[in-house]
Amino acid sequence: MRLFSWWLRRALSAVVTLFLVSILIFTASRLMPGGFAEVVLGPLASPEQKAEVTAKYGLDESILVQYARWLGTALSGDFGISMISGEPVTTEFGLRLPVTAQLALFGIGGAILIGVPLGVATAVRAGRRRGGAAVGRLLSGLGVSVPEFVLGSVVVFLFSRFALGLTVGGYVPFGADPAGNLQSMLLPAAVLSVFVIAVTARTTRDAVLTVLVEPYITASIARGDRPAFIVCRHVLRNASIPIITVLSTVSAYLLGGAVIIEYLFNLPGMGTYLVQAVGRRDYAVVQAGVLLAAVVFIVLNMVTDAVAGVLDPRFGAAAKGRKQ
Amino acid sequence: MTHLVRIEDLVVDYASGDGSVRALDGAELAIGAGETVGIVGESGSGKSTLGAAVGGLLPGAATVARGSVVVADHEVNTLRPNELRALRRERLGYIFQEPIGSLDPTMRIGKQVALALPGSGRRADVLTHLERVRLADPARVAKAYPHQLSGGMAQRVAIAMAMAREPEILIADEPTAALDSQIRAEVLDVIFTLAAEIGTTILWLSHDLPAVAKRCRRVVVMYGGRVVESGSAHAVLDMPWHPYTSALVRAVPGAVAEGERLVSIKGQPPVLTGAAEGCAFAPRCPDALSTCSVDRPPVVSVHERDVLCHLAGQQVGVSR
Repeated sequence: MRLFSWWLRRALSAVVTLFLVSILIFTASRLMPGGFAEVVLGPLASPEQKAEVTAKYGLDESILVQYARWLGTALSGDFGISMISGEPVTTEFGLRLPVTAQLALFGIGGAILIGVPLGVATAVRAGRRRGGAAVGRLLSGLGVSVPEFVLGSVVVFLFSRFALGLTVGGYVPFGADPAGNLQSMLLPAAVLSVFVIAVTARTTRDAVLTVLVEPYITASIARGDRPAFIVCRHVLRNASIPIITVLSTVSAYLLGGAVIIEYLFNLPGMGTYLVQAVGRRDYAVVQAGVLLAAVVFIVLNMVTDAVAGVLDPRFGAAAKGRKQ
Repeated sequence: MTHLVRIEDLVVDYASGDGSVRALDGAELAIGAGETVGIVGESGSGKSTLGAAVGGLLPGAATVARGSVVVADHEVNTLRPNELRALRRERLGYIFQEPIGSLDPTMRIGKQVALALPGSGRRADVLTHLERVRLADPARVAKAYPHQLSGGMAQRVAIAMAMAREPEILIADEPTAALDSQIRAEVLDVIFTLAAEIGTTILWLSHDLPAVAKRCRRVVVMYGGRVVESGSAHAVLDMPWHPYTSALVRAVPGAVAEGERLVSIKGQPPVLTGAAEGCAFAPRCPDALSTCSVDRPPVVSVHERDVLCHLAGQQVGVSR
């Protein structure tokens, strides 16, 4: 019962947050210098032409009326049309979301399948060889600090200058040609993963090191348990809260669209599309895009809290205010 | 007589900052099967290090500089990792000071106990083991998480886990220090009756001399990383030979007659960085001779009592 009302409160606060975000982004997009008409028609257009375009899209109405109208249709799932292409925003997003989602999936997959084991391995071996730890720190430091555009540019240069088996650019939808799609996504996904894997590995390492000095680990060693058993049974779950928190942050970052990677590898994803929409004052697209990002963040946070509560009973009890 | 545990001239250093601290400075101890031994000493006397050394559980910062630890004819310091694990699994049981911290906070008690049982622990076995440590409601405890238990309950669970494989020797490192005083006696009762049933040798590390003397057949007093006195509990308590032991006895409330003053031990226990020049207690010793701070005292053994003191020879001589 308590649990249910806790989730109900979370859901309510999420709705309120989204409402506030929509007001904020609506206002902010209208406050950007130079309106849609100026950007589309250019500096030489006459005031009459501008007025005509402004009236056509209803931009001459007061901002309150515009917002009320937008909110009304948005609630029924219609986020308006892109003023640049004339297509519904949902159709435009439908073309680009799969690209971003696929990139994000690869990145999160890399973080979980490579970053987490790497972090565990370096933490468990931390006491043994000083050299190994230094190399690990150097690599993860590089991974975290080398900007995507540097690494991406190097990869683009190497793969387009020399025949290394993979082509750069030329996105193919997965539905049309799965093999070709995977081939075109491999390089951008790899470049994107470096940062994500390094961040995850680092957080995992720190979390595991903290757990390894806990008395229950000593107790487990004293019972004669094998190291692999101790890691699987006791360490991973206790170190999981910081790890899933960083995974959730990384996922939100990836789902927001990896603008630089999309530009470098010429991928039609959400990141580049939204940047272009801001530049062209394509209000409906910007509003829907930011709202989508907010939804992703809120949902990811709720999922993270739910998973944390399942993984660590203390966390669940504390967060939900249960008394036991 | 073959000993279950035999520690000879054990020297252990801890790396700390740019130097090192000597935790054990030539400790000697032999324990026979079925004994109940209480090791008494202040914090920093080396008793925890000694307890950890028995199971090869010294932390990464520690190095064994010299000496040997033999448990059931195995030299612990040279065992391969899998042999050491087998030794811990089959012959040793450990109980630590922090009861709730010694249990995995993310796992239900029943599951943790099951993992500690030999083979695949069944639910019925888990409940049997929880009953053996006299937990009032084993079924409820099995379903609980550690943070839902009291310290006393958690320590009983830890005892059940340590005794699950019926170890030959149980090392209890201040098992009641974190508990309320009225629960201490109950928890100790559980440890000692269970150990007596199974035939487990007890090595109880404590700073509470009278409590140890009440339950253990033998008392071992540690100071400055060495065993300074060892003998049957009542003999050590009634007639301490080492000045440190007698100072400990005089510092205990209840040990002196009403109206007499409790005597605290002046000064601080030493922090050794290398081998002590003479007797580590010499600077605080009221009866110190000139040789005490220069020569390391030899072991004086009489009637199964060992004392590490220059004065002891004279005292024994006059059969005090």
